[in-house]
Amino acid sequence: MPPESTTTSAVESAPTSFRIQKERTQFLGLTFDECIQGFFGGNALLAVIILGLITFFLFREGSSFFSQNRDNLSIYRLAGLEYVDLGRQPEKDHAALSRYLADLRLRTYQYYTAQKALPAKEANTLLADFDLYADRFARASAPIRSQLMDWSEIANDIKARHLTNQNLAEKRRQLLAAGKSAEAAAVKILPINFAVEVETITTTLPAYAEASSTFARSLEELIVAPPILPDVDLTVRMARFQALTRDFIASLPATLESMKKWDATVPVPLSQSFTAFIFGRQWLTASFWQDWYGAMPLIAGSMLVSLIALTLAIPLGVGAAIYVNQLASPVEQRLIKPAIEFISAIPSVVLGFFGIAVLGEFLRVASGWSFLSWVTGFPFAERLNALTAGCLLGLIAVPTIFTLAEDAINNVPRAFKEASYALGASRLQTIIRIIVPASLSGIVSAILLGLGRVIGETMVVLLCAGNRIAIPDFTAGLGVVTQPVHTMTGIIAQEMGEVEPGGIHYRALFVVGLLLFFIALLINYFAQKIVRKYKVSIG
Amino acid sequence: MENSSPTSAAPSRTLATPPRVARKDDTVPSPTLIDVKGLDFYYGAKQALFDINIAIPDRRVTAFIGPSGCGKSTLLRCLNRMNDLIDGTAVKRGEIKIRDIDIYGPAVDPIELRKRVGMVFQKSNPFPKSIYENIIYGLRIQGVKSKTKLDEVVEKSLRGAALWDEVKDRLHESGLGLSGGQQQRLCIARTIAVEPEVILMDEPCSALDPIATAKVEELIHELKKQFTIIIVTHSMQQAARCSDRTAFFYMGKLIEFDETHNIFMNPKNAQTEAYVSGRFG
Repeated sequence: MPPESTTTSAVESAPTSFRIQKERTQFLGLTFDECIQGFFGGNALLAVIILGLITFFLFREGSSFFSQNRDNLSIYRLAGLEYVDLGRQPEKDHAALSRYLADLRLRTYQYYTAQKALPAKEANTLLADFDLYADRFARASAPIRSQLMDWSEIANDIKARHLTNQNLAEKRRQLLAAGKSAEAAAVKILPINFAVEVETITTTLPAYAEASSTFARSLEELIVAPPILPDVDLTVRMARFQALTRDFIASLPATLESMKKWDATVPVPLSQSFTAFIFGRQWLTASFWQDWYGAMPLIAGSMLVSLIALTLAIPLGVGAAIYVNQLASPVEQRLIKPAIEFISAIPSVVLGFFGIAVLGEFLRVASGWSFLSWVTGFPFAERLNALTAGCLLGLIAVPTIFTLAEDAINNVPRAFKEASYALGASRLQTIIRIIVPASLSGIVSAILLGLGRVIGETMVVLLCAGNRIAIPDFTAGLGVVTQPVHTMTGIIAQEMGEVEPGGIHYRALFVVGLLLFFIALLINYFAQKIVRKYKVSIG
Repeated sequence: MENSSPTSAAPSRTLATPPRVARKDDTVPSPTLIDVKGLDFYYGAKQALFDINIAIPDRRVTAFIGPSGCGKSTLLRCLNRMNDLIDGTAVKRGEIKIRDIDIYGPAVDPIELRKRVGMVFQKSNPFPKSIYENIIYGLRIQGVKSKTKLDEVVEKSLRGAALWDEVKDRLHESGLGLSGGQQQRLCIARTIAVEPEVILMDEPCSALDPIATAKVEELIHELKKQFTIIIVTHSMQQAARCSDRTAFFYMGKLIEFDETHNIFMNPKNAQTEAYVSGRFG
């Protein structure tokens, strides 16, 4: 049969009531369905575009930091500041030794007053010799100190002139851009020959070497006859002090050697600008000497605070999730769930306020209680420290961890639970051996997302962490938690308002922001990966 | 419970497995193991079981049949107190005695009871662990640590569930990698590893294809030499094929309970007759 006739007969045979065609309304050539699809698609696209813009903006603002930081480090070298700092290292080490002596004096004083029950005046009299000795020790560095002071002045002067030149060059550029070439030509820039200028410092190295050996000799004389201390423990500490001082004296020639080798003309590689940021141990801005943008103290601070927060939030959040999902009565469920979820509704600034006014003060007082004195780091004097901030951040992370972990536990098939009970398992055994392992991936990702929440939190750490920019002293063991710290989020919030846009400090803050962005990205990535990979599997 | 007997004070000792002798002849009347008397059971305010009286014989297969919602699964779950896990359920009247101990007595620990009365579910539910770990779960939670003992139980249970030859080379692979029928036999193996006296089966073959069903039925036939089996089923052919006695439930009441061939060939009750001949249900 030819195809045409088939079609015709089919149309003719169709009953009139079988009408399945309909005229569609059209807007701008699109059907209604397509419009709706376009609307939702557009919204989704907008979100993606905004995320892209944020990333682009962060990168654009942060990217030139590294070249600026290289300039910053280059001038540090060219102007001889680096050289002076090399020479200053012995002075710093010597100051640390003096502090050791001061600490020893305090211990001896406590020994006299506490163990021997002597009055303060008598204790001080007994310590007169010690004080004399400590004073002589502290003054031993005088010769190199005066040399360093001269050097500092010269180096600072070179740097200041360089900065003035930069400003003038900028001014000339602006004038030229405005078309005022005559005025631009009037701006006089005196070029600096760094190599020649720095020589005024390096040529005086023999004088420094001389001062250094005088310094070493006087120290050697001093450590031969240290004051006799009244207790075994104290004597041991004094012996340690002697050993440390000897090591220090032995290290002096190496310092001189490194100063001899130092060369101002060696260029600073860009990679150093990067490592100086990531691994730099100092964040020092608006300084008279040299600015440092080292993120290590901030990263360490953020990590420490997050660690404390998670240590508290994991048992609380996961424990509560298990309890509510598996053990609680319906009444308890109705009470506990909203209560925990409500925590996330508290503005973090309010929590921070609570931290300053109540929690910080309470922890400080509690650390003084005698029955808690066995805790390392207790008692402490700082009301605002990593512990206070960590406790509050833990509280903030609890709802996130609780809600997601509860979901994960709830998703464990009921059949597993029934099978376990039918084999004679108790409730606890079922929870530990079946429910928790089966929901472990969900619980881990809940914890990771809680970590993301904690790392990004700003207000609480700004208010409660103490904001001291220094790497916490991890040698203090657990006591490290009682030290004040600063965090990545805190520094951005605190300093962003005061910096000159486009300056190196401004850019440095953006790079810290970028770092945070990547940490958050990484955490989310792993949280999702874990959920996908270990969806259902136990041990 | 008004009927709690003083003997229920030490349930785990009294419920200990008696020496088992494999019986050759199923026609010999068997003593009653589970005795249900006047049981009324409620889900909250709704009564699900009405005055159930049934005596289930030792080491026989008893089938519960009846249309959906007739209470057969509810009664099954009463026998190992799985209903305790659902809020608001209660036995309001009557008693269930296993070896003359009221299992709802105050001194009875449901956990000990469930070690003696195992259960296989409608949908196979192996844990997402290895086959080996699945089998020894019941022993692990009882604190058995000896590796030789565990190995022995795994082999014995898997042989008992006619699964050993199929899985002996992959004992440490996930139980979820098995086929549906194998998974259900794994669940049976897991149940017999604890050495219960009674195995409750709640529609164990409803999710299986005919070949896997035949294997499980064959297995039931083997198992009844050692265990008392109660099977809830929607398939009357299955009840006819593998049970010794059959109980027909309707609307929460036990309508008729008799030898299986009597129920299917010569029912005394008109409702039973209508159901088994397929006129309703």
